[in-house]
Amino acid sequence: MKYKFVLALLTIASFTVAKAQTVDEIIAKYFENTGGMEKWKALQGIKMSAKANQGGIEIPIVITQLKDGRQATSINFQGKDIKQGVYDGTTLWSTNFVNMKAEKSDAETTENFKKDIGEFPDPFLTYKERGLKAELLGKETIDGAQTFKIKLTKKPIMVDGKEAENIVYYYFDSENFVPLVIEQEIKTGQMKGAIQQNKMSDYQDVDGLMFPFSLAQGIKDKGSQTLTISKIELNPKVDPSIFVMPKEN
Amino acid sequence: MMMKRMFLILLSLFSLQTWAQDPIKDAVTKGKELFGDLKARHIGPALMSGRITDLELHPSNDRIIYAGTAGGGVWKSVNGGATFNPIFDEYCQSIGAVEIDPSDPDNTVWVGTGETWTRNSVSVGDGLYKTVDGGTNWIKVGFEKSERIAGIQVNPKNPKEVYVAVLGPLWNDSEERGLYKTIDGGKSWNKILYVDKTTGCSDLTLDPKDPNIVYCSFWEFRRQPWSFSSGGTKSALYKSTDGGKTFAKIHNGFPKGKLGRLAIAVAPSNSKILYTVIESEQDQDKGLYRSDDAGVSWKQLNNDFGIVVRPFYFSRIEVDPRNPEVVVKAGLMGSISRDGGKTFKNLGPNHSDVHDVVFDINNSDRMYAATDGGIYRSWDGGTTLEIVENMPVCQFYHVSVDNEEPYHVYGGLQDNGCWYGPSKSPGGIEASDWHRVGYGDGYRVYPHPTKKLIYSEMQGAENVWRFDPAKDQAKTIQPLAEKGEMDAKHKLRFNWNAAMAISPNKPDRFYMGSQYVHRSEDMGENWTKISPDLTTNDPAKQNQETSGGLSRDNSGAENHCTIFTIAESPLDENVIWAGTDDGNLQLTKDGGKTWTNLIANVPGVPKGTMVYHIEASVFNKAYAYAVLTGYQTGDMNTYVYKTTDFGQTWKSIVTPEIYGFARNIQEDYVNENLLFLGTEFGLYITLNGGKNWYKFTNNMPSANVHYIELHKKTNDLVIATHGRGIVIIDNISPLRELTEENMNKDLYFFTSKPAIIPEENGFGGNSTETQFVGENPSTAARIIYYLKKRHTLGKMTMEIQDVNGNKITEMGPGKSKGINVIDWNFSTKPPKMATAKTFALGGFITPRVPAGTYKVVIRKGKDTYTQDIVVQYDPKSDVPLADRKLQEEATRKLYNMSQELAYTVYEIDETLKAAEGVKGKSAANAKAVAPLIAQLTALKETLVVTKGDNYVGTAEPQLREKMAELYAKVAQSFYKPNNAEVNNLEAIETRYTNAKADLKKIKDKELKKLTPLLSPEKGKFAQVPMKTYDEFIKEP
Repeated sequence: MKYKFVLALLTIASFTVAKAQTVDEIIAKYFENTGGMEKWKALQGIKMSAKANQGGIEIPIVITQLKDGRQATSINFQGKDIKQGVYDGTTLWSTNFVNMKAEKSDAETTENFKKDIGEFPDPFLTYKERGLKAELLGKETIDGAQTFKIKLTKKPIMVDGKEAENIVYYYFDSENFVPLVIEQEIKTGQMKGAIQQNKMSDYQDVDGLMFPFSLAQGIKDKGSQTLTISKIELNPKVDPSIFVMPKEN
Repeated sequence: MMMKRMFLILLSLFSLQTWAQDPIKDAVTKGKELFGDLKARHIGPALMSGRITDLELHPSNDRIIYAGTAGGGVWKSVNGGATFNPIFDEYCQSIGAVEIDPSDPDNTVWVGTGETWTRNSVSVGDGLYKTVDGGTNWIKVGFEKSERIAGIQVNPKNPKEVYVAVLGPLWNDSEERGLYKTIDGGKSWNKILYVDKTTGCSDLTLDPKDPNIVYCSFWEFRRQPWSFSSGGTKSALYKSTDGGKTFAKIHNGFPKGKLGRLAIAVAPSNSKILYTVIESEQDQDKGLYRSDDAGVSWKQLNNDFGIVVRPFYFSRIEVDPRNPEVVVKAGLMGSISRDGGKTFKNLGPNHSDVHDVVFDINNSDRMYAATDGGIYRSWDGGTTLEIVENMPVCQFYHVSVDNEEPYHVYGGLQDNGCWYGPSKSPGGIEASDWHRVGYGDGYRVYPHPTKKLIYSEMQGAENVWRFDPAKDQAKTIQPLAEKGEMDAKHKLRFNWNAAMAISPNKPDRFYMGSQYVHRSEDMGENWTKISPDLTTNDPAKQNQETSGGLSRDNSGAENHCTIFTIAESPLDENVIWAGTDDGNLQLTKDGGKTWTNLIANVPGVPKGTMVYHIEASVFNKAYAYAVLTGYQTGDMNTYVYKTTDFGQTWKSIVTPEIYGFARNIQEDYVNENLLFLGTEFGLYITLNGGKNWYKFTNNMPSANVHYIELHKKTNDLVIATHGRGIVIIDNISPLRELTEENMNKDLYFFTSKPAIIPEENGFGGNSTETQFVGENPSTAARIIYYLKKRHTLGKMTMEIQDVNGNKITEMGPGKSKGINVIDWNFSTKPPKMATAKTFALGGFITPRVPAGTYKVVIRKGKDTYTQDIVVQYDPKSDVPLADRKLQEEATRKLYNMSQELAYTVYEIDETLKAAEGVKGKSAANAKAVAPLIAQLTALKETLVVTKGDNYVGTAEPQLREKMAELYAKVAQSFYKPNNAEVNNLEAIETRYTNAKADLKKIKDKELKKLTPLLSPEKGKFAQVPMKTYDEFIKEP
């Protein structure tokens, strides 16, 4: 009798574990634990103030992202604002560090960027509607923590003239159901073939939504650089001119 | 309540089970939870690369190439072979075959592990793997006991139909051999052709036009530690025309008698044309055969040396995809025929021992060759070849280190001689940093313990050199046959990988092992035998002369009944251990007068099992570790033992967590329970003397570990892999403190040695873009702590403070469960620089802290953890302390001056802003502030650049730029400022003082004209709004 009881419990237990392992369960739990799906969907924009630390040099950074895809990253060096990865709805541009003038990104990069519009604020929020595929690959220990490894297949991108798959791996903490690590293969440039790795921690509440306030960005098995976020504003008032590519004087 | 608790217990038990049910996987997971940021670094080298076993091209994208290697896993190029990246690090690194699914070439790739070029040092495989995402993730499909997979073919019209050629074990019988087929994509497999336990499927191909036509060859072969046999009555070439349901031998035109290894190739442009290469009894019958009728009949075309040489090592045939008359045969140099196989010439100069050649999918001039020394590219049809320079897949047999700073690493390589190179070098460890110290197959290399001399050897101790790098002089010093040792029965028998050892007690003492232990007290000038024959001296195991089977192969690699390992106790020079390849474990306690064979005391080891390594303990002269390997008889068990009583009793320290047979163990010098074990599939670490083992996987591939050395001064673990070069784990000392008590703390700071500010700022960087550069160790102060749990929720910060609690700098702390390592490069914050049109690059330099004690402060939630960190000046430096203080003083002065100047410019800018603000309000206003604006603008133009860019459009430097330039020079220097710098500083200071005086004059005279025009702040007189200096400096 006792034996049967234990068996029954085990069955329940195994059911619970198995159930928690479907990809949609994990994603649902993630949104539930970080503020709720509806609240995430209602978000129109964010403005993050952060500092990057590079070998002792603290670099103030302001990142603005809007739901319509417009975004800007402003980096302050010696009192000068340098804009990187700015998108005004049509053009993706950055400031050249040498002559401090705005330059357009190459066409391929811009087109690839545009494919991600609609991801805001989180690629998993509407991944199905946008025709992306999420799969649970299994459990994996990363950063010493037990995680669920999820493969997100995004729309293919172009790499140096050839179409290539666009896959991002997310490692969701099995305890808190938030992403701890994101990995993506670098497709072009000198680091082509290496794995870009972003580690998230210091999740904190901002008006009812949980955000990671620490992002360690680097190459897998190599060094990383930490971006420490000091402030996040939800639905900020944004001067649209910050996205506009300046004309040459 | 009770029920709830029980449920919880069951639940936790269950989840434990799901995470950890297989001890081998458990060792990996627990290792990942423990080792955290303790990461391996790879130093290569790649200049001679290593053995490549199989090349595979994408059928439609000529940028993509896969390469299987002998011991370095699978590598992928996405740039047409310019560079390759490893994509198979977590799995068995010995690769037999790589096959791209032609229906899904971007994603689906099959990998059969276990090299099939069966030299004596070959590694073993552990099954078939598959990726469905181009190599990012892999799953094992099966065939765990196959040991070697020679070929995989996927039906181009039906990806669910896959054939796998299992060559099978090299050293023992096996029913796993044969040709297998799946029709459900790998879920189930049928053995569709099997010959017997001794004969495996060695080559496989499909007719490119009709995938129901299958060709495969079977090879009867066997290796024993003392001999190799290729060929027999069962070797054969088969054909099926019904998708493998039935097979028939296609031997019409073949030589009579026994056959050896056979290769098969179908011309892609005309599938009636087949080529095979035949190993047979008579030399005149061997060589290349061709069929023009799809195997109905065969004709011999060529038996040149290049075609018949060493069939077990070279067998592959490749036909130009566009021209059936152009055919390449793998071989010593590789041979190419342009007349359908009638005549051949060698490929152009490349590394010898070519195992595979492929033609580009679009252009036959573009070829790739797989050699014992890497991948070679040709652009002219195989005449000129160049090596791929970023693949450190060299196969070390051994490693040793010296006591230089930085220390050097020494070792011998499969078919690539002996080398030494630095563990650290400006700009990274580059190809040009490595130096050759021996030819042939390199094995053991040792630096002399106190003199700048190097001992090195080539195969079978044919040469043992004592090399003086300063004089560039090498002297051969190996023991040679004496009277009575000139005949075969009494000759000296050296292993192919001959035993060498240096004494930890007497620097000039040097050992060699044949069947005897030879000792020299004078660096090899004179030798004394200090033992009788310590082997079994079994004549049945000494027939290497007849080794090879149908093709005689007496390279010496099969020399047996030899001593393989010698170890003198570091605590007693008279205690010497010796292990033999035929299973004897010998000890002398009287410096060689008497020897005792202790192998009978080792429990659970089959007789004759090779004693691969003996580690004499540093803790007690009665202690030793023995590592034995039986893989050369098909015994894949792990044998590692410890004795604490001079070998009277031995205790196994192996647990089910260890995967793969072991070759080497390294004891820690401080913590007796900390041990490092190298197996066929990677590195294992125990913290408790072998009760539990963790697999170390942080940037450490599952490579075959041949030898491990622990550097006494740096505590670096230096690992000789047989396929991924030298891998180093810097400073393993934190592992010594991983006690249960410390691991139970939420955060535990490991004891840190004083951190040295390295006085080096040299150049380096001699490599080209596509060359491998080995990673340097960190020279920063390392903050190392253990976290019980991964930090995910809430804030966690880290800062460095001086003794007074002032913040020096902030850093991002590590959040991993396990060991976290954060590097602090002794820097404080850079100065706040004046805003200008462009950057003052010198202003990005961060000053170093002076020597002293600093405090690391970690705040995690409500808890604060601190640890002192001692920073010291470089003891090797010749800079006097007084000079350092002058350097620090000058740096501080320039730093402060730069910040003050920033404030001065800020004041000017704010004032100008205010003046500009009122200027437009009226003509009177404009007139009132015009002199102020003009004078301030003029002054500012002398303080900072107001035009130009950061490159060649740069403006004439002004005070800020000059100040920053001098600041950078002084701050980065280790010396006191020289006279030029002192004078320059004085000039800058004077100019700045004058500028401040000028500003004061302008303000005194002109500011009063502006302030009345400003709207006053509440309750205050009107003034230009201005932050204080402190507020200005503190703002981000």
